[in-house]
Amino acid sequence: MTKFLVRRLLLSVPILLGVSLVVFITIKIIPGDPVASMLGPTSTPEAREALTARLGLDQPLPVQYLSWLAAMFQGDLGQSIAQQRPVLGLVADAFVNTLWLTAFSAVLAVVLGLVLGAVAALRRGRVAATVSNALALFSISTPQYTIGLLLIIVLANGTGWFPVSGMYSAIGGGTWGDLLWHLVLPGITAALVPAGIIARMFRSTVLDVMSMDFIDSYRARGLSERRILWHAFHNTTPTLLTVAGLQVGYLLGGVVFVETVFSWPGLGQLVFDSISKRDLAVIQSGVMVAAFAFVLINVVVDLLHSLIDPRVRA
Amino acid sequence: MTTQAPALAPAAVSRPRTARRARRLPAPALVSAVVLAAVAALTLLAPLISPYGPLEGDLAARLQPIGSPGHLLGTDGQGRDVLTRLLHGARPSLLAGLLPVVFAAAVGIVLGLVAALGHPRVHTLVMRSLDVLYAFPAVLLAIAIAAALGSGISNAIIALAVILVPPVARVTESEAMRIKSADFMAAAQVSGAGRVSIALRQVLPNVAPGVVVYATALVGLSIVYAAGLSYLGLGVSPPTAEWGVMVSEMQQYLFTAPSLLLVPAVAILVVSVAFNVLGDGLRDFFNVRTDAS
Amino acid sequence: MTSPTETPETSGAAPSRPGAPAPTAGPALEVTGLTTTFSRGGRQVLAVRGVDVSVGAGESLVLLGESGSGKSVTIRSILRLYGSSARHTGSVVLGDQDLMRLDAAAVRAVRGRTLAMVPQDPNGSLDPLRPVGRQLEQVLRLHGVVADRKAARARALELLALVGIPSPPRVAASHPHELSGGMRQRVAIAIAVACDPAVLLADEPTTALDVTVQSQILDLFGDLQERLGTALLLVTHDVSVAADVADRVAVMYAGSIVEEGPAREVLENPRHPYTQALLDAIPRPTSERGHLKAIPGSPPVAGTDFHGCSFADRCALAQESCRTQPPALLPVADGHRAACPVANPVVAA
Repeated sequence: MTKFLVRRLLLSVPILLGVSLVVFITIKIIPGDPVASMLGPTSTPEAREALTARLGLDQPLPVQYLSWLAAMFQGDLGQSIAQQRPVLGLVADAFVNTLWLTAFSAVLAVVLGLVLGAVAALRRGRVAATVSNALALFSISTPQYTIGLLLIIVLANGTGWFPVSGMYSAIGGGTWGDLLWHLVLPGITAALVPAGIIARMFRSTVLDVMSMDFIDSYRARGLSERRILWHAFHNTTPTLLTVAGLQVGYLLGGVVFVETVFSWPGLGQLVFDSISKRDLAVIQSGVMVAAFAFVLINVVVDLLHSLIDPRVRA
Repeated sequence: MTTQAPALAPAAVSRPRTARRARRLPAPALVSAVVLAAVAALTLLAPLISPYGPLEGDLAARLQPIGSPGHLLGTDGQGRDVLTRLLHGARPSLLAGLLPVVFAAAVGIVLGLVAALGHPRVHTLVMRSLDVLYAFPAVLLAIAIAAALGSGISNAIIALAVILVPPVARVTESEAMRIKSADFMAAAQVSGAGRVSIALRQVLPNVAPGVVVYATALVGLSIVYAAGLSYLGLGVSPPTAEWGVMVSEMQQYLFTAPSLLLVPAVAILVVSVAFNVLGDGLRDFFNVRTDAS
Repeated sequence: MTSPTETPETSGAAPSRPGAPAPTAGPALEVTGLTTTFSRGGRQVLAVRGVDVSVGAGESLVLLGESGSGKSVTIRSILRLYGSSARHTGSVVLGDQDLMRLDAAAVRAVRGRTLAMVPQDPNGSLDPLRPVGRQLEQVLRLHGVVADRKAARARALELLALVGIPSPPRVAASHPHELSGGMRQRVAIAIAVACDPAVLLADEPTTALDVTVQSQILDLFGDLQERLGTALLLVTHDVSVAADVADRVAVMYAGSIVEEGPAREVLENPRHPYTQALLDAIPRPTSERGHLKAIPGSPPVAGTDFHGCSFADRCALAQESCRTQPPALLPVADGHRAACPVANPVVAA
């Protein structure tokens, strides 16, 4: 098991290096002189040159890349020019906020996905299955930015049942209950796409497993249909875990639209805001953190997978 | 051997299975195809059938509700006819959704074939590079690329194409690997066919249906993302009519004229659902498996 | 599911575990006029057309036929594994119960308990995610043949030893993928005999195995029958398997039995043209090149309607009457019956 974990972790190192390279190159493509935008239009050429040298921007690109990597390893993500704060704290705060949203939607997505998928698989050919399939299809097709706005219209506007922006109420906020209350609408919005994907995957996996020989053997041994179903569900867990893990990973960096609609101060919104402000250090760190979290989740998923399914350990 | 021994056919279980293969395109997929054809027709005819110009606003008639006389779908915050903007917005919205898939399919098929049929080292290199792209949350990566390139519809298309290449390449690669191990491939190799010739004549025709079906299913997603980029201000920029732009414009009137928001929202949803249903139908029809992950 | 119905063993039809089987009064399993009909796309497909077979305790009957002849469907129908997707007529009498008349819960109590099945493919028949020992214990506890978990574990190890597994504790803790095909099939057999069933059904139990392992598994069946006195109904397409294990052989073609009798009789002195053709089509080391005879034509697709003999279209002896009158399974020699009036004209009953 330890060997498996170590090997898996080692495999993710080159991926993370690749990720950092892509981020670095993307940032370098961004047009405009970052020094000029930092110092403003009135700066003197001398001041610009001095800052360029201080930031190491006069070095060859490979050197710049390596020193950026080295700094990142020491926890130095640079300074945000827009907010005049170390990027590390900014990104960390935003990441935690996104984590809340992700966790809430992940639970919602898995529950909803399993219910829809199970109904679609076990009531095949009946109305309930058709409805489940249609719901799953709609939820994967719905743009988050419109469904979020529609939820605001239906569930918040006029009724005032749920808050439509931010994480906490300005007055009397800050409690767990307050956070949960604020999570409802963005959570539902973010959960829909992964729920639909999980539902469709769960349906096809249940049907696959139910057509396997061992299900019939269980039947021939005298097990009741209910217990057979239980064993069938057990056999869907490896696939379920992989797909759900992937979806959680996507949620971590993919809730930009939701965060924008609901003004959720998360990672997606931070990166998006920094783009308009040309706050390069924040953009590259934000994207790095999201990718890093994604790779890490994949390692965890693989590990859990190997615990459930002994075949992958071999 | 002049005889075959029919009595001793290799053990097959005599076990009835219900035939699952559908030989007709399922009804929902047909309906979707018709819907999409209608959307395409309306898109092409937009300049002819629109009652107004897409940028032509009447500030005296702002935020007219749906069903107002002269404005079937109402007017927006600047008094522009929503139906007109919807029809004119279809072209950039659909193009920005379709083209990334077309580009990604082209690049992805080439990469997938190169990976599957090339030297094992090339295979490793290509597949590991794709893993790197996979490690990014797709939306965030698209936003970062679109931002790096600067706003505009062509840059949004490039950004989306980049995030769609890895899944297409993976599907192509796994299909091609499967076909590579088939018997007729060995026959082609023995007969001395060159690599490129094998790739183009034997593998590509067998891989293509699966990849095309998979790509169709990606169009829905791509349209949603494309409008999303415009919604964020990274794709088509206002005042050009585009569905994502319209959503973002209507958002200001969320509390005063909420129903207007439904127009672009429903348009995006309908097209995206239609492509997904069509993708499902084609998948069943061609009986292909498309597991990207 | 907690209390299984008392089984025919108590009636004396099947002997208890140790010792050789005593010759018994009635058969352990008696199938009469069994038909199985699937409805496929609105069409009714008759896959089994009135099969009569019976197996006595300690006896082994091999159901021999080509793939598609309905032999696997027959034994799956006996267990009523098709559920609501098939309709049956006829009776399947096990001891004093007719399975076709039992409700679903009562059928479940019989499955794995008095009537157990060894599946075809040991690679797919075991739950891949659970250690095989647990699957064995589950059957024991399900049918209440052991008192508690501890007893189940002990009995499971005994059973693994019984089927010739060298180190039961290690194997019990293994997952199916960690075992060889032969080992897996031994485990599947252990599960099947766990509750000391009166009748064992085996569906091509050696087809997926290497030839050397095949004969070991077939020996195991013989060994277990001797020790447990179980009746065995084994389905195969392989004549050599039939010759190896069968006391009696029933030859199946297009959903019905065309010939049935003592194994030696049927295999060495076949009376039905189909059986003769089937045996002629086996390559033997002694047969010269080109001497293999293929049966002309191909077997009918399941669900074809016949008025007369189902083999008539491929039969060299076929006469006009064969196509109109369904042949009855009539005695041709002592305990030997064949459904061909042409090849066996006047035989005194």
